[in-house]
Amino acid sequence: MENINDYKIHPREVADKSSKGTLKKAIKLALDVESDAVRLNTQTFNTNRYKAVKKIDDYEELKDRARQIKEYSIQNLPQLIIKLTDTIEHRGGKVFLAKSKKDATDYIKNVCLSHTARLVVKAKSITSEEIGLNSVLEKQGFEIAETDLAEFILQVSKEQPSHNVAPAIHRSRESISELFKRNFNTDKPLETGEELTEFARDILRQKFLSADIGISGANLIAAEEGTILLVESEGNIRLTTQLPAVHIAIAGIEKIIPSKKDFGIFIELLAASGTGQPLTSYTNILEPPLDLPILNLNGRKDEQREFHLVLIDNGRMQMREDDSFKEALYCIRCSACMNSCANFQAVGGHAFGDEVYTGGIGGAWAVGTTGILEKGRFAELCTGCSRCIPNCPVRIDIPKLNTTIKNRLIKAAGGPSLQKIFFGNFSIIGKFASVMPSLSNRISNLSVSRTILEKIIGFEKLRHIPLFAHKTLAKQYKEYRKVNKVKSKLNELTPKLVLLADVFTNYNNPNVGMAAIKVFDKLGMPITLSKLLDEGRAAQSQGLVQLATKRGKKLASYLAGLIDEGKEIIVAEPSVLALFRYDYKKLLNNDNQFDKIARHTYDPIEYLNMLVVNHKLDLSNYIANVDSSKPKIFYHGHCQLKTIGAGYVASEFFQRLNYTVKVSNVECCGMAGSFGYKKEYYAISKNIGDDLTRQIIRSDSFDNNTIILASGTSCREQIGDELNNPIFHPIEFLEKILK
Amino acid sequence: MQNEINEDIIELFIASAKEAVATVERIPANANSLNNALVAATENDAVLLAQPDDLDPELFSIFKLNKNIVTEPTKEQISTIKTGITDAFCAIASTGSICVSITKNLTSHASMLTRKHIVIVDSKTIIPKPRDIFSEKYLEGKGLRRSFSIITGPSSTADMGPLVRGVHGPGKLHIVIVG
Repeated sequence: MENINDYKIHPREVADKSSKGTLKKAIKLALDVESDAVRLNTQTFNTNRYKAVKKIDDYEELKDRARQIKEYSIQNLPQLIIKLTDTIEHRGGKVFLAKSKKDATDYIKNVCLSHTARLVVKAKSITSEEIGLNSVLEKQGFEIAETDLAEFILQVSKEQPSHNVAPAIHRSRESISELFKRNFNTDKPLETGEELTEFARDILRQKFLSADIGISGANLIAAEEGTILLVESEGNIRLTTQLPAVHIAIAGIEKIIPSKKDFGIFIELLAASGTGQPLTSYTNILEPPLDLPILNLNGRKDEQREFHLVLIDNGRMQMREDDSFKEALYCIRCSACMNSCANFQAVGGHAFGDEVYTGGIGGAWAVGTTGILEKGRFAELCTGCSRCIPNCPVRIDIPKLNTTIKNRLIKAAGGPSLQKIFFGNFSIIGKFASVMPSLSNRISNLSVSRTILEKIIGFEKLRHIPLFAHKTLAKQYKEYRKVNKVKSKLNELTPKLVLLADVFTNYNNPNVGMAAIKVFDKLGMPITLSKLLDEGRAAQSQGLVQLATKRGKKLASYLAGLIDEGKEIIVAEPSVLALFRYDYKKLLNNDNQFDKIARHTYDPIEYLNMLVVNHKLDLSNYIANVDSSKPKIFYHGHCQLKTIGAGYVASEFFQRLNYTVKVSNVECCGMAGSFGYKKEYYAISKNIGDDLTRQIIRSDSFDNNTIILASGTSCREQIGDELNNPIFHPIEFLEKILK
Repeated sequence: MQNEINEDIIELFIASAKEAVATVERIPANANSLNNALVAATENDAVLLAQPDDLDPELFSIFKLNKNIVTEPTKEQISTIKTGITDAFCAIASTGSICVSITKNLTSHASMLTRKHIVIVDSKTIIPKPRDIFSEKYLEGKGLRRSFSIITGPSSTADMGPLVRGVHGPGKLHIVIVG
C-alpha cells in the first residue's frame, strides 16, 4: 500500500462527489492508500457490535422503541423545539435556532467575540463540519483546538472525516507517526500508540487549561428537561463542556426527543451499535448552565457559567417534508451501517462520503443539508446488499434511501444511462440471448463485442459476461418432466411445492433449478416449475423504481394466486427471495399480499431444514460417515439471505449431516448483483472479493478439494474468479449427496 | 432492589467493572476500613479529595485527616495533581459503570483532570442496567434530577491505532464498594 502522506491527491480535493470523475478518483485514492486501515478498523467495530448486541436481551424491542421515539419526535418537532427553548431559557441558558449555516456560524462567532475569546476548545461535532464552523472562526482570528484525538489528527493533516464515529479511521499508527514527525518539531518519541497519544494529550491539556470557550455537539437533547446527552471515550467532552465558563453546544434539530426518561434506551443502543461496547468510557448527562465551580485556570475572571444551544435547521425541515429523506432524520449516528457495509470496509468515507457525511446513511444527509442532489452521487456505492438494515438501531431502510437518490439522479439526468438499462433489463436480454445461447455467448465474449460493451455500457472487460445456459430451466424442466412424472411419496399433508423460475436461475443457472427439482423429487415432495416472470430485482438495484414496481406487482399477484391454491414457493436465488420477504413490503404497498408472499416463500435448504427440525423429514440415511473421505466445506452466506434470517441455515443443515463447515464473516461478496460487473466499480468489488478469498484460503485445512458453497449467483462468480475449487449452490451439493 | 444488599447484583457489577478494565475492591461500610483502603490505593501521593455528594461524610472522618489530602486546591495543584477521590451516587451492574455527579463540589473535576480516579460507591446503590438510572423506580429518581457522567472503565482511545488507556481523562479507575 502506498503512503498516504505522499499521495498525489489530497482527500479534500475529491471530497465533493458531484461529478462522476471525482467519485472515480476518490475510489482510487481510497483503494491505493486507505483501504487496509479502514478495513481493519471497521471490521473490528463490526465484530464487536455483533458481540455487544447479543448481550442486550431485549435488543429487538429496544430498536422498536427507539424507532417509535424518533418517529414521534420528528413528527412533533416544531412543538419540541418550542418546549426545549422554553426549558433551557428558564434555566438561564440561551437557544438559537439557525435556519442556515451562515446564521449558525454568525451567532457562534458573535458569542466568541462577546467574550473576547482567543482560544476555543472543540469536541468532535460532525454538525460543526456541516456548517463549516472552524474556517469561519479561524478567519475571525480565533484559535481552534480540536480535542478529540481523531479530529486533532485531521486538523494536522487537513483531511475531512472518513467515518462519523472515528473520523480518522483511514489512518494507521504508522501514517500518524509519520504525519506528526513531519509537522511537529519535537524530541519526544512518536512511534507507539501510547507515545502518540501522550504527545497529543500534553498539547491539548495546555489548550484545555487556557481555553476561553468550549464547543461541543450533542448526541441527543431532551426537550422536557433540557438535558444534553454526550457520549465519548477520551474525556475531552467532559473537559470541553466543564472547564471553560462558556459552553456552546451545536446540534441538528433532529437530535431532540421528548424526555430524558428515554435516554437509557439510546445510551444502550448507541454504545453497542457504535463501538461495540456495553457503554463507552464516558456518557455525560448535562443540564447546562452547570452548577459547577468555575476554576478560571485560563486566568480569566469569569463569574458565571454561560450556555448557548445552537440548533441547526439547514435543510432538515425540508427533509422532514420529504417522505423518503424523513427517514434519515431518525439516524443517531452510531455508524453501524458503515461498519457492516462491505463497500465501506473497502474504501471508507473519503470515497463513500462527502466533506461531512459518510457511508450508506450519508447520501441522504449530503443531499438534505446542501440541497444539491448531485452531492449524493456517492450513494451509487450502496449496492443494496442490505447488511445495514438489521444492524440499524432505529430501523432505517438505508438501501431504500440510496435507491431514491439513484432514482432522482436518473430523472435529473433526463433518463437512465445505457448501463442502467442494460443491467436493469437482464430478463429481456436473457430472453433474446437464449434463443441461440451459444451464438449469444460467443458474440458477447468476442473481443470486439467486449470493447463495445465496455465503451457503451461500462461493462468491466476483466469480468466474464454471465453465460447464458444452452437450455433454459424452463426447457430442461419440460424435458425432464416428460420422463419423470410428478408424484408424491409422503403423506397427503405435504403441500405442493412450486420452484420459482427466477430470471437468474432460468437463464444462467438452470442447473441450480434442476438440482432443486431433483432433490424434492427424490425426497418424495411433489414440485413444479412456475411461470417465467421478471421479479424486478435487477431493475430495483439500478434505481429504476417504477419499472421494478411494475414487474413486482405482476409477479406478486401470480404468486399470491399460487399460495391461495395451497402452494409453497421455493426460491433458489437469494436476492429474489429477499425481494419477497423484505423489499416487496414497500414496493407493493399492499401489506396483505406482502405478508402472504413473505410467509410462503423459502430458500430450498431453509425449507428442508425446517422439515428436519420439525421431524417431518428424516435424512439420517444421508449422514456422512466419520471415517469417510467426506469433503470439507466452506460456506459463504449471501448478504440478503443473512438479512432475512436464512443466511446460516445451509451451514447448520450440512453440519447436521455431519460435515465440517467453515463460514465466512464477509458481509457481502462485493459482486452484489451487477455492481462488480461495472467498469467504474470493478476495483472495489475485487478488493472485497480478495478479502473473501483470503478468508477461504486461510481457513483450517483448506485445500484444492474444499467445496465452496454459496447460494448467490454473483457470490459464486466472484469466488470463481479467484479460486479453482468446486463451487456450488447448497442445493446442488445436496443433490450430489442424495445421488 | 433498594436499601437492601443484593449479592447477585454486586457480583455482576464487580465482574462487569473488571471487564471494563477498572480495579474493584469491596470493604465494610465504616470509616476505618475506608481509610485503610484509600491509604493503600493512593500510595502516599497527593490526592484531591472531593467533598462527597451523596455518601455519608462520616465515612471519610479518619481518611480526611491524612496529610496527603488536598480539598481546596490552588490552580497549580488542580492542574497537576495526579489522583482524585470522589463518591458515586450509583453504579450499574450490567456495564460495570459508576455515576459521578456534576455539582458545586469538585467531584467532576477530581474525576476528569487526574490520572487516577478512586471512586467510592455504596453497595445499596447498584442498579441493574443503564436505563434504570432514568427511572423513578430506582434511587428515588435521583438520576432524573442532576447532571452527571456515567463512567465505564478508564479513559481510552483507538484513534492512534492500537487501544490506549488514559487520554484526557484518568488512565486508571479504582472502585471501592462500601457495604
